[in-house]
Amino acid sequence: MIFSCFTRECRRCVEAAVEEARMLGHDSVGDEDLLLGILRAGEGIGAEALSASGVTLEAARRESEAMLSEALASIGISLEEVRREAGKPFDMRIPRGRRVPFSPRAKKVLERALREAVRFRNGHIGTEHVLLGILRNEDGTAVRMLAHMGVSPEALEDLLCEAR
Amino acid sequence: MVALRRTLEALEAAQVENAIVAGWPWAKIAEVLGVSKQAVHKKHAKRIRARYPGERSRRKGEDR
Repeated sequence: MIFSCFTRECRRCVEAAVEEARMLGHDSVGDEDLLLGILRAGEGIGAEALSASGVTLEAARRESEAMLSEALASIGISLEEVRREAGKPFDMRIPRGRRVPFSPRAKKVLERALREAVRFRNGHIGTEHVLLGILRNEDGTAVRMLAHMGVSPEALEDLLCEAR
Repeated sequence: MVALRRTLEALEAAQVENAIVAGWPWAKIAEVLGVSKQAVHKKHAKRIRARYPGERSRRKGEDR
């Protein structure tokens, strides 16, 4: 597959995305998990651009949790209360044995990353291309997450283009 | 709604665990959830057992 053209950082970021999805209890790897993966891997042009914009892994995780709480609150469920009532055994993480597939949106991000790499005539797919793929996915969760953290896709894209 | 499904699943898992720890038999948990005893055991027993190593013997008769 296209994994062979991934840079080392990029492969790490995809693996880290799966880990993040598991930890946050996402039953598929979404575009927001790819964003978290870039941050968790912590290396590569994509990670540098994100940290230059003030986006940290911790803040992004918090934002992801906050969006879950908000979604539940919108239908009248308090995640805090559920957590309190159920006690210690309440655990959203995905257990080890269960597979966590890529969501259609995350697959699209990776496809777009490939397209961006071809467009720039880069012989590899790096975290910068994955991040561009994420930003092109305007109705994606990751773009919404970034917006909540005060980061606009345009500003990030400018940073990425400068870095290249 | 993905958020709701995930929360619900985690909540079911937690409450089944709470019930087992409180000494409920699988049959009673199954009845409350409206599923068969085998179904609830298959879905939860392995996970719960893994979280309480060494406590198995106390509920020997119930465990299957």
